[in-house]
Amino acid sequence: MCAGNAATMSGDREIRIWLRIVEQALGGPVSLAHVCAAAAATVGVDGAGLTVVVTPTVRETVSATDAVAADLEELQLTLGQGPCMDTFTRGGPVLAGDLRSSEFFARWPVFAPAALDAGARAVFALPLHIGAISLGVLDLYRARPGGLDSKELADALAFADVAGMLLLDRTASAAPAGAELAWQHDNASAHQAVVHQATGMILVQLGISAEAAFARLRAYAYAHDRRLSDVARDVVGRRLRFEPDALPEPP
Amino acid sequence: MRDHQLAGVFIELADTLVDEFDLIDFLYRLTVRCVDLLGVAAAGLLLADQRGALQVVAASTERTRLLELLQLQTDQGPCPECFHSGQPVAVPDLRTAADRWPAFVAEARQIGFASVHAVPMRLRSEVIGALNLFDTRAGALHGDTIQLGQALADVATVGLLQARAINRRDTLTEQLQTALNSRVLIEQAKGVLAERRHLDMEQSFTLLRSEARKTNRRLSELARAVVDGSATL
Repeated sequence: MCAGNAATMSGDREIRIWLRIVEQALGGPVSLAHVCAAAAATVGVDGAGLTVVVTPTVRETVSATDAVAADLEELQLTLGQGPCMDTFTRGGPVLAGDLRSSEFFARWPVFAPAALDAGARAVFALPLHIGAISLGVLDLYRARPGGLDSKELADALAFADVAGMLLLDRTASAAPAGAELAWQHDNASAHQAVVHQATGMILVQLGISAEAAFARLRAYAYAHDRRLSDVARDVVGRRLRFEPDALPEPP
Repeated sequence: MRDHQLAGVFIELADTLVDEFDLIDFLYRLTVRCVDLLGVAAAGLLLADQRGALQVVAASTERTRLLELLQLQTDQGPCPECFHSGQPVAVPDLRTAADRWPAFVAEARQIGFASVHAVPMRLRSEVIGALNLFDTRAGALHGDTIQLGQALADVATVGLLQARAINRRDTLTEQLQTALNSRVLIEQAKGVLAERRHLDMEQSFTLLRSEARKTNRRLSELARAVVDGSATL
């Protein structure tokens, strides 16, 4: 199954998206700002901003491509209202193709007019999450009304995936250099049930958060040059245990 | 017997209109109903994740091997074919499909399946996923059975949209992505319970589900609480 994945539509998209981000980085290390800039340029929106979850109750804007995007992030954090905030309570993306519509005015009576004043007419909030792991939100905006078409949506989701993985590695400080590339090759297995099951098991074994457990699982796979899903299968099959304060022995 | 079970499905469907509706539990029950009503060995539902891949969202048993077989269909198998064509796919004898989908057929046969069918989940002109039906006996499902399978797949679509939100295309995206993340959440919680209580993944799911019913909570909410440590099962 490994060989086939590169040929999938989603595989092609990931490669194309990764190239756009690397272009932004001009050969240097990739940052969240590069992801935002590439997303804004590729998805067909006017700007992008990224807010990260510092603790479950503390959130912070780490990147914005322009003043409007920065205003949108700040407005939502200050008002506690808007699509980005709704992703935390709803658990999925929130897509507002026209902030002037009655639906969104009713939903965000304070945020919607403020966002329009700031220069945004459409806002799309994409949560960076993996089950219970909540890392942040990628917000995209348009100065003119209009929803994302299916290609734009797929690209936007792929940018959110990359931002999520970068954040995971950054906060957990667990990934060696080149981990992003390793993830690009192994992304398909990141969607497998066994990977998430293993995350839950490691969380208990080490008494750490889901975020840290997933980062440890990935770090182990890189360090041993193995596929994420193969390592996860060993954890679920109880052939591999993670012990606190030591890297586990290979099975 | 079948009428009685069908009535049960529609009663469950009516539940989708209430506020406490639990989508993941509903889809799980629907796959179990598929097994009962259609006389197959296992059923699984896959949804398009809008990045171009199919993801498992529910299965009639939570055995890891079945979930993995379903997920193997990221790019090969009857589900992607059904998803792209929007038409049902019948493989009465898996052995005949070994060239077409080598990895999928090998894994399915190893588990003990002999035949597989897929019916699309449709929303007007759009296909949003597919229902997989596996059996341990070879042979094509009867036309009536396929029709009933299609009706159940349509019920799954309605459940996903919770009827009232059907008008906005963006809402479909929001619901799909939320459902897929809920599924990840449940896998993480299964892992936590498996490790803490020394259970296998199917037992972990059963425990999670019975606790959710007992305490009247959504599966995904309880799963989140299990993962963040605020619920200790």
